[in-house]
Amino acid sequence: MSQEFEPKIVGFLCNWCSYSGADMAGTARIQYAPNVHIIRVMCSGRVDPSFVLKAFREGADGVLVAGCHPGDCHYTAGNYKTLRRMPLLAKMLEQFGIEPGRFRLEWVSAAEGAKWARVVNEMTATVQKLGPLNWKNHVRHT
Amino acid sequence: MAKARVGVYICHCGSNIAGTVDVLSLAQYAATLDNVIVAREYRYTCSSTGQEMIKRDIQEFGLDRIVVAACSPRMHEFTFRAVLAEAGLNPYYLNVANIREHCSWITKDREVGTEKARHLIRGAVARVVWQEPLEEREVPVNPSTLVVGGGIAGIQAALTIAQAGYKVYLVEKDTSIGGRMAQLDKTFPTLDCSACILTPKMVTVAREKNVQLLSYSEVVDVSGYVGNFRVRIKQKPRYVDLEKCTGCGECDPVCPVKVPHEFDQRLSQRKAIYRLFPQAIPSAYVIDKRGVSPCRAACPAGVNAHGYVALIGEGKYEEALELIRRDLPFPGVCGRVCHHPCETACSRGEAEGAVAIAALKRFVADQAVPAAFIPPRPRGEKVAVVGAGPAGLSAAYHLTRNGYEVTVFDALPIPGGMMAVGIPDYRLPKKVLQEEIEYIKRMGVDIVPNTVVGKNITLEEIFKRGYKAVFLGIGAHRSHKLGVPGEELTGVLQGVSFLRDFNLGKKVEVGRRVAVIGGGNTAVDAARTALRLGAEQVTIVYRRSREEMPVNKWEVEEAEKEGIAIRFLAAPTWILGTDRVTGLECIGMELGEPDQSGRRRPIPIPGSSFTLAADTVIAAIGQAPDLAVLGKAVKATGWGTIEADPETCATAQPGVFAGGDAVTGAATVIDAVAAGKRAAESIHRYLQGQDLREGRTFDVPKELIARKELAEDMEYVPRQEVPTLPITERRSNFREVELGLSEEMARREAERCLDCAACAECLQCEAACGPRAINHQMKEEYIELEVGTIILATGHEFYKPQGLPQYHYGRFPNIIDSMEFERLCNAAGPTGGEILLADGRKPESVAFIHCVGCRDAHSNTYCSRLCCMHAMKQAHLVKEKTGADVYELYIDIRAGGKGYEEFYERVQREGVIFIRGRGVEVIPVDNRLVVKAEDTGLGRPIILPVDLVVLVTGMVARADTAEVAKTFHVTRDKDGFFLEAHPKLRPFHTNTDGIFLAGTCQGPKDIPDTVAHANAAAAEALSLLGRGRVTIEPIVAEIDPDVCAGCKVCVELCAYSAIEFDAEKKISQVTGALCKGCGVCVAACPTGAAQAKHFNDVQIMAEIEGVLA
Repeated sequence: MSQEFEPKIVGFLCNWCSYSGADMAGTARIQYAPNVHIIRVMCSGRVDPSFVLKAFREGADGVLVAGCHPGDCHYTAGNYKTLRRMPLLAKMLEQFGIEPGRFRLEWVSAAEGAKWARVVNEMTATVQKLGPLNWKNHVRHT
Repeated sequence: MAKARVGVYICHCGSNIAGTVDVLSLAQYAATLDNVIVAREYRYTCSSTGQEMIKRDIQEFGLDRIVVAACSPRMHEFTFRAVLAEAGLNPYYLNVANIREHCSWITKDREVGTEKARHLIRGAVARVVWQEPLEEREVPVNPSTLVVGGGIAGIQAALTIAQAGYKVYLVEKDTSIGGRMAQLDKTFPTLDCSACILTPKMVTVAREKNVQLLSYSEVVDVSGYVGNFRVRIKQKPRYVDLEKCTGCGECDPVCPVKVPHEFDQRLSQRKAIYRLFPQAIPSAYVIDKRGVSPCRAACPAGVNAHGYVALIGEGKYEEALELIRRDLPFPGVCGRVCHHPCETACSRGEAEGAVAIAALKRFVADQAVPAAFIPPRPRGEKVAVVGAGPAGLSAAYHLTRNGYEVTVFDALPIPGGMMAVGIPDYRLPKKVLQEEIEYIKRMGVDIVPNTVVGKNITLEEIFKRGYKAVFLGIGAHRSHKLGVPGEELTGVLQGVSFLRDFNLGKKVEVGRRVAVIGGGNTAVDAARTALRLGAEQVTIVYRRSREEMPVNKWEVEEAEKEGIAIRFLAAPTWILGTDRVTGLECIGMELGEPDQSGRRRPIPIPGSSFTLAADTVIAAIGQAPDLAVLGKAVKATGWGTIEADPETCATAQPGVFAGGDAVTGAATVIDAVAAGKRAAESIHRYLQGQDLREGRTFDVPKELIARKELAEDMEYVPRQEVPTLPITERRSNFREVELGLSEEMARREAERCLDCAACAECLQCEAACGPRAINHQMKEEYIELEVGTIILATGHEFYKPQGLPQYHYGRFPNIIDSMEFERLCNAAGPTGGEILLADGRKPESVAFIHCVGCRDAHSNTYCSRLCCMHAMKQAHLVKEKTGADVYELYIDIRAGGKGYEEFYERVQREGVIFIRGRGVEVIPVDNRLVVKAEDTGLGRPIILPVDLVVLVTGMVARADTAEVAKTFHVTRDKDGFFLEAHPKLRPFHTNTDGIFLAGTCQGPKDIPDTVAHANAAAAEALSLLGRGRVTIEPIVAEIDPDVCAGCKVCVELCAYSAIEFDAEKKISQVTGALCKGCGVCVAACPTGAAQAKHFNDVQIMAEIEGVLA
């Protein structure tokens, strides 16, 4: 491993599109940054904003939420709820002092293995530039 | 809670995982984690020995939680759950860490891979501790299947299932089943005729009692879940009754509308009433309606311009006239004087000029004799009409056609209103009008002349005489005053009364120099009449500019040709003279801001006065109805017109209706006719006690107007110009100026029509149909079905080569694509199976360019698999039918399939020349085509002059795949085809349980593969149907009644209406059978009462802690 800072990123991925998309990236043997640890949920609409806060508190340097493209949701419209919730959360995170680059919402379909890899690479590079968040220590000590 | 006992199993997956991940150190690491009792690594955990190992450990170590770190849970979660169940553990005590797809396969760095796997296993162990036992649900499977798409895949799947004894609904979007295969000529490699092997199957499926065929239908909504889907289907209106139509085809020859035939790849034409192909199933015809043609929609009276133009094109003049007379009693009048908004709306107007619709109407009115009126059964009710102008007579005409007895009271000695006394003979010969009024009289309409209502008879008296309703169509015959000094001088005339007196045969005199004031039709009519009465110099004075003139622009042009001068931007200020007019003092104007009428307001320019010598001044600046005589019987508007509803024509007084100029102020004949027609309908509704508006539309909604997109290569055909009387022959007589179209001109002009809406509703088919199967009023219908399984067999499209400009497809003849070639060599195709060039010659050399739209970064990167064989089959047909030289320009030959390689050898032996290299460009040179290509055998570019180029196009996903995917909640692959659940092991499953894929909607396939795939999908469906019950994952939401605060946030969010609010207990409850387990409600629940089983907050929080620890 390089001596560079390797961010820890938690990814919440819906079962039907984005998780399959990430599987697809692997099946296609696309080589990309290993920094995102994927947690599977049935729908991106299941992602409770408190999951994101929890991930930051537990030491994540970034959080990525990914679901089906709007209109393609396996559950008809779950991702529209995500689309409403996550931007509000992003605003709040900013007020907490968490830089916008550390939180990202993306639509990745089951066919978009290459897109998933690109998103992860981009986000890893962004968070790498931002450096460690250290929210874990910060939150616990105040 | 007792401490969990976790077993961790790390799979090598051969070298797939072990190659990048240090499985040994991982197992050692896992063993150190809290709660872990045993951790092992194994070469193939999913093998039976791997499974046995887990079972043994469960028993031996008393394990109660299992973590398998292996491939994606989407692959083997079910396998390992079964292992737990077999060992007596609840299967939901399993967690799978994806260390293959998400880990070992994305990096080659062993250290990185191992580190990432460590995180994932930690997360899985942390999570599994909190997992809970869940009970699987079993639900019944509805014993019926929906098959979507009636091509060979859909037919095959439907037959297999139906013949096993289950009900099948086969939905086809098009008018017939058969799909692409029906379009093919021969099939490779056996060269049997496609139709010969397909059509018997089509007949079988149609006759199969377990199959209900829903043609011309589309699935619009799907809800429910495996075993229990609810489907909503839209049945498009066919306009032909499926039960009654015998398929005799009598309607076909009488239909005047020809449109390109999609089934022949637009190489031939079909009628608007058609059958997709001779062996179509259902065999019933269908009418192609695309809305309302713009011309028809633009006509205030709704006259079916498209219809009569189409009939004129066919030489059916009587029928055309009848069609006009359905809406308009004055075809001859309107053919001459109408301002024809139909022509303004004509799609052809965007190209070389609108179709001369008005002139065509006049032609047919002059040419044909209207059919005798067949009176309907009398209704016995009497209606009075006041005013025998276009509005009144139109109302009388339509009321009489509807069985009412109508009397028309008219103030003038002759009927016709402004048509008779306003429009001069050179525009509208008296005879034409008289004939059309005579027809109305012959229908039984009683016209009482010289009767002014309000003076000779009152409205009250009319009602007293037994008339149940009255229509006021009194027109606008009172001129506006100029309001300048000198108006009382001798020689000052009012435009309307000047024209009226002249038309009534009274003596009218004009001087040598006539000034006409105004810019409307009355002004120009007065000017041209004055000229014909002997005036030497006629000048029109108009206060705005040419653009703002309300008069028809062609009238102004004619007037100017005749020598009439126009002074624009001038207004009279003083009429000069002592007792006789000697001149007119005017002032110059300029245009300011637009006023209420939208036209720019004229403003006088100080000091710009000038004098015009004149001995007659005719004022024609506007007119209003004469309401004085009617007294208080009607309410007037501020404009001096009758207050009435502009749409229904109803006035405030029950039973009194009004329309035409009397309501709108001076307007046009067609507007008045339209008002009369609308009033007739309103009066009918009023007398029948019906609502005046219900179910009625007054304007054609914009979305229904079928505007034609003009093709780039549309042929320009100049508009036929109506011949006119030479200028020199126009003075001192009132001969008609426009001479009308000759028959030949009319036929040619009618053929310029683009048939925007396809069906013209000329109703000829209705007349020709023996079994009375045609119903132009048919509406779309919706059907709700419940089915247990669904098979998607929606097929494919072929790549459209317009996307690759180097081939010049669609821009030059003799550059065609595979499907066009297929129709060209089909015995039922446009050439009867002869392979011909666009000019009818036989080709002497043909080049097939392979891989168009495939294996190319500019279009699609995949190989479409069957096109090589397709092209070779076509090459064989060229050889067989024409003996021409054939070149196949290929990249690689893909001939994998039973008998395919042999066929490849056969066509080589037949003399087809194979050149390995991509066809780079096609260049038209003189009468031939030059193909530039690369010969990789010779290693140099080559040039091939040929007569015909066939672009061998690949299969692509249908344009509507995205939409269909949304409807059925299935996903698509990177190329747009439907995505299978697994590329190898589940190639006909989707990710939605109970929905399967058949044929080319999943990816390119030839016919044998399509049939096999379809039968496989059918077998999957049958497996579910045969079992009769299906297990459903218990991953659903639940609401803790003790925690729920009853806020109802979840109720609104649920896409499946699975949450209900119990008003008594004031809490929300989940109905398990409806819940699909997305967890949207859980994320929104403010109290945490809603939880997702197997994905609850505690489990996910633990996993977060685990991966980040």
